[in-house]
Amino acid sequence: MNIVVCIKQVPETSDIGWDPKTGTLIREGVGGILNPNDKNALEAALQLREQHGGLITALSMGPPQAEDALREALSMGVDKAILLNDRIFAGSDTLSTSYALSLAITKIPSFDLILCGKESWDAMTAQVGPQLSELLNLPQLTYATVITVNRNSVKIKQKLEDGFRILEASFPALITVEKEINQPRIPPMDSIMEAYRDKEVQVWTAEDLVKDKKHFGLKGSPTQSRKVYSKKVQKGKVTILEGEPDEVAGRLIQTLKQKGLL
Amino acid sequence: MDFTLSGESKMMVKAARDLAKQEIEQIEAKIEEEDAIPDDIWQKFAKARMLGMMIPKEYGGIGSSALNVILILEELAKTGSAVAFLMALNNSVVETIYHWGSEDLRKRFIPPLCDGSLWPAMAFTEPGTGSDPTAITTSAKPDGDHYVLNGTKRFISYGHKKGYGVFYAKDETEKVTAFVVDKSSEGYTWSKPWSLMGLAGQGLVDIFLKDVKVPKENILGEKGKGFHILLRWIAGERVQQMAFMVGMGQECLNESLRFAKERIVRGRPMTDMQGFQWMLAEMHASIEASRWWTYRVASKQDEGDDIAVDSAALKLFVVPTIQEVARKALQIHGSYGYCKDYKIEKLYRTIASPGVTAGSTEIQKTLVGSALARSKEI
Ligand SMILES: Cc1cc2nc3c(=O)[nH]c(=O)nc-3n(C[C@H](O)[C@H](O)[C@H](O)COP(=O)(O)OP(=O)(O)OC[C@H]3O[C@@H](n4cnc5c(N)ncnc54)[C@H](O)[C@@H]3O)c2cc1C
Repeated sequence: MNIVVCIKQVPETSDIGWDPKTGTLIREGVGGILNPNDKNALEAALQLREQHGGLITALSMGPPQAEDALREALSMGVDKAILLNDRIFAGSDTLSTSYALSLAITKIPSFDLILCGKESWDAMTAQVGPQLSELLNLPQLTYATVITVNRNSVKIKQKLEDGFRILEASFPALITVEKEINQPRIPPMDSIMEAYRDKEVQVWTAEDLVKDKKHFGLKGSPTQSRKVYSKKVQKGKVTILEGEPDEVAGRLIQTLKQKGLL
Repeated sequence: MDFTLSGESKMMVKAARDLAKQEIEQIEAKIEEEDAIPDDIWQKFAKARMLGMMIPKEYGGIGSSALNVILILEELAKTGSAVAFLMALNNSVVETIYHWGSEDLRKRFIPPLCDGSLWPAMAFTEPGTGSDPTAITTSAKPDGDHYVLNGTKRFISYGHKKGYGVFYAKDETEKVTAFVVDKSSEGYTWSKPWSLMGLAGQGLVDIFLKDVKVPKENILGEKGKGFHILLRWIAGERVQQMAFMVGMGQECLNESLRFAKERIVRGRPMTDMQGFQWMLAEMHASIEASRWWTYRVASKQDEGDDIAVDSAALKLFVVPTIQEVARKALQIHGSYGYCKDYKIEKLYRTIASPGVTAGSTEIQKTLVGSALARSKEI
């Protein structure tokens, strides 16, 4: 079973600023980490490999420092790592990101599954996985909390807002995973050393993917941010409700309703 | 001079941080309550390939640098837990066996100490002394193809856990010799663990050796030359201890900052007051100085230098420096810092230990001072 896992490097803290002019995140000076939810996708892939064998390729589009995220994937145990890096990719929205990833995936010799995290913690759109499956014309199994591989099909337990669904698809298929699917492994120290000393991160540019570059980066992105702003948090006053428990609870509910919180 | 950490080192630190969060901090309250470390933690260290890190692969290690070990220890130390110290003890014991042991000893004793199946120990201290190798009284008498060991060893970390330990005893010529002792040998017994100020679960026992037979081939290095082994071991141990001090010092500062930013004094956060800002600044400077010197000595170790004097100088500086950091952290916390609900309480107790273990701070002064007095450079 050959698996491609799409991973993203995200800013280390959720507390980062916006550039008010371009509407993009200010990433300078903020360290990058492997998107936590993508670690679940990697872990799921590693567990599937343990059960069914095969090769795992980690794929990421990002700036040169995104190599660190791929080295982490190698430390966790994936077999190959590919970084899509080109200045032209800068400013990509989810659509042009999915586009670039889909082109790269078609260049990977064989795969049975594509795994993605449900969402990245900086943008939280949960769009890349589904878009990728559309571009590649693959069945999409989203929000997986359990993955079971059978002979000719793969089943997932899908988490919905008000319950679960079991979905099944033939290979190849794309799955996005929820964080509760597993507890990602901590890479062992020897594996970290190998990831940095003995393994390679291949770098592919736009040229390696396709001749016509109009769908890449800012130009290929239909989504443009008009305006970005931080939410203003106003500190309220503390009100202490006194009296009998029943009566106080009643008043609390009333107050919350008045404020539109219930 | 390159002060940047490699990607590999940074990733190791991150992995150590995740391990500390997932495996140590989760069980820390239980360890404190029961004064015992669960056995399976050892397998977790083994699985993370953190045991015997500096030993080449063919003996069960991973062939990493001393600097990487130091960085990992610094991270684990932020828990203030005795669990963090386990890895250090293991590293120094297997490193000693590797450096001084015959090929046969290396092959027999190192792999099980790296795969999590057995526990290490190092036994020098006795009721009569913990600092003076000439004063030890444990004896080793030759008897055919064996030595027979008799005596009492005091404060031996994990002396009661199944495995192998490096034991120091005086041979028939009254010279200190180092032996690898199987802790399940006949005649090997132990006391109940000492109850300590900090380091809950450390498992510090006295060991009673009564006619314990140790094969002659279990001698490390040359017979009668155990003192050199002890000195080399203890130099490496000191650097590891100082990495702990740096990690714990950093956590003292982090905790103090968290506390002082939220604590309102006279209507404003404590961090607005210059007096506390100065304390925080001094703590930061102290930790940075300690950290980079510790890295420097670890790098020297990697370069193959003798670090006996460097590590002693490092210890005599770092111990009081970080103890002062802990004292300031307590002051910043006020009475809350004296309560077990606050981490600073545990850090304060743990920080008290390196100054009186593996050679007290005072002895480092003697070591460095006499080396300076002997030096012919000036
Ligand atoms: C948590 C913990 C773990 C330990 N683990 C181990 C272990 O695994 N194996 C082991 O063998 N031991 C272990 N010990 C023991 C420890 O290493 C010794 O107790 C320590 O080296 C000090 O020895 P001592 O208490 O006998 O002090 P002493 O030798 O009696 O010294 C008392 C004081 O006198 C001063 N002093 C002594 N000699 C000199 C000198 N030459 N110059 C200047 N001042 C001097 C020092 O200030 C010293 O603090 C452990 C102790 C603790 C608390």
